[in-house]
Amino acid sequence: MISRRSFLATSGAAAALTHINPDFFINSAYAQTRKPIVFLSAENITGNWDPTAHTTLSQKNIEGYVMGFLARAPMRPDNPDEMNYELAEAIELLDGSRLQIKLRSGVTFHDGEPFGAKDVKATFEYGAQPDRPAQWYPGPTDSFEVTTPDDLTVIVDTSKGGYSASLFIFLAAYLPMMSAKDIAGGPNGPLSQRLNGTGPFRFVEQRGNDTILEAFDDYFKGAPKVAGVTFSFVGDATTRILSMMNGQASIIERLEPEQIDTLSGRDNIKISKLVSVENKYLWFRCSKPPFDNPLLRRAACHAIDREILYEILGDAGHPSSNFISPIKFGYIDLENYPEYDPDECQRLLAEAGFPGGQGLPELEYITSVGFYPKTKEYGEIITAMLQEQGFPVTLSVMEVAAWNERLYDRPGGGPGHMIDCGWSTGSPEPDLVLRTHFHSSSKRITGIVDPEIDAALDRERSAGSLEERRRLIQEDLTPMLADKAPALSLFTSVMVHAIDSSLEGLFLFPDGSIDASTADFV
Amino acid sequence: MFILGFLARRLAQGALIVFLVSFLIFTLLRVIPGDPVRLMVGGMAPDELVEQIAAEMGLRDPIPVQFMRYMGGVVQGDLGQSFIRPASGAAVGGAQFDDATRSERARVLTLIADTAPFTIQLALLSMFFALLVATPIGVYGGLNQGRWPDRLALYIGSLFVSLPNFWLGIVLALLLSVHLGWLPAIGYQGFAYTILPAIVLAVEIIPFILRTLTVSVAQIMRESYISAAYIRGLSRTRIIFAHALKNASVPLLNLLGVQFSMLLGGVLVVEFIFDYPGLGLLTINAVLQRDFPLIQGIAIVTSAAFVLINIIVDLVSTSIDPRLDY
Repeated sequence: MISRRSFLATSGAAAALTHINPDFFINSAYAQTRKPIVFLSAENITGNWDPTAHTTLSQKNIEGYVMGFLARAPMRPDNPDEMNYELAEAIELLDGSRLQIKLRSGVTFHDGEPFGAKDVKATFEYGAQPDRPAQWYPGPTDSFEVTTPDDLTVIVDTSKGGYSASLFIFLAAYLPMMSAKDIAGGPNGPLSQRLNGTGPFRFVEQRGNDTILEAFDDYFKGAPKVAGVTFSFVGDATTRILSMMNGQASIIERLEPEQIDTLSGRDNIKISKLVSVENKYLWFRCSKPPFDNPLLRRAACHAIDREILYEILGDAGHPSSNFISPIKFGYIDLENYPEYDPDECQRLLAEAGFPGGQGLPELEYITSVGFYPKTKEYGEIITAMLQEQGFPVTLSVMEVAAWNERLYDRPGGGPGHMIDCGWSTGSPEPDLVLRTHFHSSSKRITGIVDPEIDAALDRERSAGSLEERRRLIQEDLTPMLADKAPALSLFTSVMVHAIDSSLEGLFLFPDGSIDASTADFV
Repeated sequence: MFILGFLARRLAQGALIVFLVSFLIFTLLRVIPGDPVRLMVGGMAPDELVEQIAAEMGLRDPIPVQFMRYMGGVVQGDLGQSFIRPASGAAVGGAQFDDATRSERARVLTLIADTAPFTIQLALLSMFFALLVATPIGVYGGLNQGRWPDRLALYIGSLFVSLPNFWLGIVLALLLSVHLGWLPAIGYQGFAYTILPAIVLAVEIIPFILRTLTVSVAQIMRESYISAAYIRGLSRTRIIFAHALKNASVPLLNLLGVQFSMLLGGVLVVEFIFDYPGLGLLTINAVLQRDFPLIQGIAIVTSAAFVLINIIVDLVSTSIDPRLDY
């Protein structure tokens, strides 16, 4: 029986229910208009926005949206030397040691300051200071002189340093242009607090793990069509895949081969595969026994059958036989690159005084898991192949933070005897890899000090023309590196992205950075 | 007077527990491999610099000395500064040793205060879902011991307790978010993002509530005062709701207190899978980066919450059943 009281209570509750907005509890993952691009990154950032304070790839990718570059290099295998002008209108070698850069007019930074020659001069002079952690310049600030005949002309003179000014050509596609006003504030000033560039997207804020960028309507090539970019660090690969599948993410990176299979059959997702600027290396600790002996390094290289690694990597690896990626200036398949040859391995072991590996100390091979694809899997294969030839190797698989702690050279040699790591720089410039790792002034991971390699690196750096430099890299420097084997480049990474199929107009660079200035959801 | 004495005694015990937990965590962090200073200064920094910074930060002092210095700050409400995270709260990679933003590292208390509400929201919602499902099934099972409702409760409990949360999280995200598009799954942009992880956590809790309810209700229904209630002519509905459930709520309340505390500290996997920005995700990143002050801060806050929740539970239990003595 219904009483008056229970009727009123029931009807009141029913009326209240009609006023509850169910969107508060449940809203579709798809319901968005003019949504920003959501990029899920596998790597976190450094927390310091100064572009010269880090070499972290994810942060370089954020800079790709925000900062302006004198030129950009598409870096495709069929034309690795191609350069497209952006903030520059022309880059011209006046002679072997003088480079002239003509700048585009009417460009402004996101804070409203006009861009001009003073900013290029300040960027070069600041970035090349010896105390800047990201050492990308061919020489320190006192090895070159930058003059600005007018507001839109820059001349770089390298005669003091004794190297070719052509080294700045490919760097033009890699160095983000900073504001002279910001640089004047020094490393503790605004540079470290936020990004300020001339690119298509403006830095808004760092919100937890999300870097929020919004379209910069005064971008010199026209206002971007998307509202902005949200660049988020999501450490777990499965989480990134799920985000892509349910439409929350627009782009995810560093897909594992089996993840490519999972996503490639879906209508709402497209897969981009690019031969990248990143080679993956097995670095030897050259500053301590036993790999201070080049015979042993070569013996280890000849123990490794890289064909098997390609099978494990599938779409994530591209065969290459050099210390730089095929899309870098000067790449060539080296004839003397150490290939799998057990007999040669045994011969070299015997010549080094360790026949069949007898007498070798216990060796540690360090690798990481959770960032690069398949490192553990192919690490186990390499370990087995080395053991087969008599190297007493054990593999240490570490999470990224512990591996990162052990990565670099230290006085007396870095931890372990071999370590796995990739190196990626978004420019065709080969010295960003070769000089960084194999010159005794840098020797980041290997710790190698070899006057012959130093001399070869200095020779190619001082070449009078690009053609002469190419010849020296291909015929002098890289064959010497193959002989001395301070590292073994295992393969070139293939940069695999999954992209929302409704997102068109993106241009992906082989270092993972993206030009989204003309992108739109259609 | 009883309440004041009870509170004083339990808070003193709680302070001792928090102190011991803090010392244990503090010591363990310092004996595991992985030098946080090496992560802070970057791999290329020379060993001398690592040692210099470690000495400046007091990290080479004996552990008891470090601990007492740390607790000196804690009693003044200062949980210290994160080794790694900047003030923006972002999870960051190894910085360079001359990183200019070093002075801008986030306060641990701020990081916890920013993330704890998300975890509390998740814990409360999962508790709500768990009670919504487990209460009717558990009570009905307890009232019908040995019959199908009891077996149903047992089967559901056995099934749910066997489901690994990481597997369930991925399957539910695939089903409800990817295929059906009903719910968002990853990150947090609004309340709806709490629902899926809450369901996963609820599935973890339901077996414990089911078991507690079926057993306690069945036991109470066999008590003599329930038989007496029938003889007094009370309706079955009144007997169940006014007498049986009230008495059965004491063990349930204790269980909920423990489960809620466990949720606050034990949502690591679920928050990681769903990229849910709560204490669990903060903890995982802190551990991966050897962010000692942050790990210690989270441990202290969660153990303090554990103690407080249990004091409240005991207090409420005593008010329901005055015979209880804690």
